[in-house]
Amino acid sequence: MNGPWVEKYRPQTLDDIVGQDHIVKRLEKYVDEESMPNLMFTGPAGVGKTTTALALVKLILGEYWRQNFLELNASDARGIETVRNDIKNFCRLKPVGTPFRIVFLDEVDNMTKDAQHALRREMEMYTKTATFILSCNYSSKIIDPIQSRCAIFRFTPIKGQDILKRLEKIAKNENYEYDTEALETIVYFAEGDMRKSINMLQSAASEGEKITNDAVYDVVSKARPEDINSMITKALSGDFMGARTLLRENMVLHGTSGEDMVTQIYQDISKRVMDEKMDGKIYMDLMEYLADCDFRIREGANPRIQLEALLTKFL
Amino acid sequence: MLWTEKYRPKTLNEVLGNGKQKKEIETWVSSWKNKIPQKPLLLVGPPGIGKTTLAHIIAKEFSEYIELNASDKRSYDIIMNTVGESSTTRSFFNDDYKLIILDEVDGIHGNDDRGGARAIGQIIDKSKHPLILIANDFYSKRIATIKNKSQVVKMQKVHTNSLNAFLKKIAHNEGIKADPVAIKELAKRSTGDVRSAINTFEVIADEKKTFEMEDLDIISKKDDRLTIFDSLRTVLKSKTPKKVKDAMFIEEDPTLIMEYIAENIPREYEKKNEIKKAYENISKADLYFGRARNSRNYGYWKYASDFMGIGVSLSKKDTYKKFTKLTSPTSFSYLSKTRGKRNLRDKIAEKMSKKLHISHSVAISMFPYFEIIFENDEDAYDISDFLELDDDEIKRFRKKKIPKKVINAKEKEKIKNREEKKKIEIEKGIYIKKKQDTSTKTKKSPDTTQVKPEEKTKKDLKSQNEKNTKKTGKEKKKELLKDINEKNTKKAEENPKKEKLKDRKKTEDNAQKSLFNF
Repeated sequence: MNGPWVEKYRPQTLDDIVGQDHIVKRLEKYVDEESMPNLMFTGPAGVGKTTTALALVKLILGEYWRQNFLELNASDARGIETVRNDIKNFCRLKPVGTPFRIVFLDEVDNMTKDAQHALRREMEMYTKTATFILSCNYSSKIIDPIQSRCAIFRFTPIKGQDILKRLEKIAKNENYEYDTEALETIVYFAEGDMRKSINMLQSAASEGEKITNDAVYDVVSKARPEDINSMITKALSGDFMGARTLLRENMVLHGTSGEDMVTQIYQDISKRVMDEKMDGKIYMDLMEYLADCDFRIREGANPRIQLEALLTKFL
Repeated sequence: MLWTEKYRPKTLNEVLGNGKQKKEIETWVSSWKNKIPQKPLLLVGPPGIGKTTLAHIIAKEFSEYIELNASDKRSYDIIMNTVGESSTTRSFFNDDYKLIILDEVDGIHGNDDRGGARAIGQIIDKSKHPLILIANDFYSKRIATIKNKSQVVKMQKVHTNSLNAFLKKIAHNEGIKADPVAIKELAKRSTGDVRSAINTFEVIADEKKTFEMEDLDIISKKDDRLTIFDSLRTVLKSKTPKKVKDAMFIEEDPTLIMEYIAENIPREYEKKNEIKKAYENISKADLYFGRARNSRNYGYWKYASDFMGIGVSLSKKDTYKKFTKLTSPTSFSYLSKTRGKRNLRDKIAEKMSKKLHISHSVAISMFPYFEIIFENDEDAYDISDFLELDDDEIKRFRKKKIPKKVINAKEKEKIKNREEKKKIEIEKGIYIKKKQDTSTKTKKSPDTTQVKPEEKTKKDLKSQNEKNTKKTGKEKKKELLKDINEKNTKKAEENPKKEKLKDRKKTEDNAQKSLFNF
């Protein structure tokens, strides 16, 4: 397989998973006992929730895992009806060659409350034939009845050292020379996100024979949508309409989520204040507005409207 | 008796306006009377100008008529049962035609009236009787096929002057003291809709037998609902809380009103801190809409409404004395403008989602990295090959096509790999085949048969491969396979007989085992 490295180097077994030892240990017990409760994996992006689920499923269902496993992206544009129908049709059938079937639902926290209640019913109805693994970024966004039905596993950001080791391994395997400094830079920017680290590594590697620090910095600046920077510059110079158009382009066309926009805006203004291009006082004010904006989005407000309002503060 | 009934025209001449069209209809009728069959007549035009009335007047010219209109449910079966049969048969004894009227054909509902349009098509094709179809919207998709098959008569709005004269006639008839200016105004405001003009006139004047300008004001205020632009203009132009609050009472989705206001704030307001204040109010309104949605407590809407109404209106220091062209939210038109690009994005995300076990949003977040990686020809080929991207999708990540050279080289490599695999499989095949021979079971699945021999060989080679254990599965496999090749060829060279013997022994063992199974 020559696909993206994130898939090529996805750990296939539980003991190959990096940085989540406490979780792996407990999961291995389920494998020994050949039974498991409904599970909920929570934690930030790129720390191994899906990977762990896949490895666990393969181990516990053995060679028939494909027939007895359903993977659904709950948050995708599909309606809850589709999700429910898929789950229903899957759970109605008896497990083949395994004690039970497994449904893996990704990003459950992006489902609406109504959809979550519907899901809860499905979970109750098929307790005999199917076990659910749910994954989410924030368990607080999951309704209590679902939380109480699951054993909750909290995934933590992966430690820099662990990411570094894995990156070295991949680089060696792909026959790339590398500067350790370059990998350290990746680790710094990836913030404990293994998927991001590996994507950055492959991007940096595609630029030449050797993975250098410059190449990594190049990737970091390229991969961060430059629109964000010019959007902020525009807003700061008083061109609100221009900034607003860029914002909409980013969110509607590129599909950047509100949370990502907030993070990127934060990174951008941080950089400005670090480079001494922005006054500290102004920064603090903007940061406070940004924090408020972040909070409102999480409270269920419309991210685009909130960010448009945020842009006016830059004027 | 309702005035609309009382003053409904009884003959073609009494119908207001549309002289040319009336002549066309007359010819159509007389042709039928002379037993010359005509195409169906399709009357199209805005409401209230007398299309149905015309149809009924025509009906008098024929001995019988059947009518089906929008209030009836019009599925295929219903239409065929009520109209279909009678349309294709003609009486033996009676030579007369029956007129069939289908009213509001553009209102046939896609789902509820399943097959309705098809039924009408069939009736048009087969009917031996005169057929009149009536529709409002000339451009409706639902009548596209019908238009081709029929004689289209486009009915025009009734001119203000003729409507004015008609209303005066009614006033005279009913003994109403009417202000001519008011009547003229009513005729004008009715925009050619005779029915609504008569209805309005009746409501106001029937009881009190007078009709003045003031009356018109009361009626039109009740009737003309505020549009979203009216509310928007009030919010942006007024500073009076009462006016603004009134303006917020319109029948529209409040979040849509919010979008309209937000869109136009920077178009109307010029000072930075006005925009800031106004948008802060929008942000708060939005927050309460979100809270209402989440808690299903729609009582929160009233706060939202005040924030985006009064809040925004008071954010300006002074009212601007200028004309601003207000627009509908561009974020919506942006959505439709970018549909193509978004579809492409979603198609790619869907492919990635399946192969990489990620959600759409995570897939899209990887696009920037793909843009960088795709600059490298070979990586671009590898990844698009893995994700099965088509040319358009590849274009999303790199402008240039992947050079033919690279593709050819890569494809050669692929074939070579496949052949190597085959070779190895053939080597293994000896083993598989024998296993199959001995166990009478047929292949269950290619997976199970392949995995086992691999494990076996792995064990054999474990000691040799200690160095490689750290490599990933794929690399390991490749090297392993190489080793197997070498080993096998070596063995074959050194001692072919011995190898064969060994194999035979294995099969015998297996055969015995399988015997026990039976």
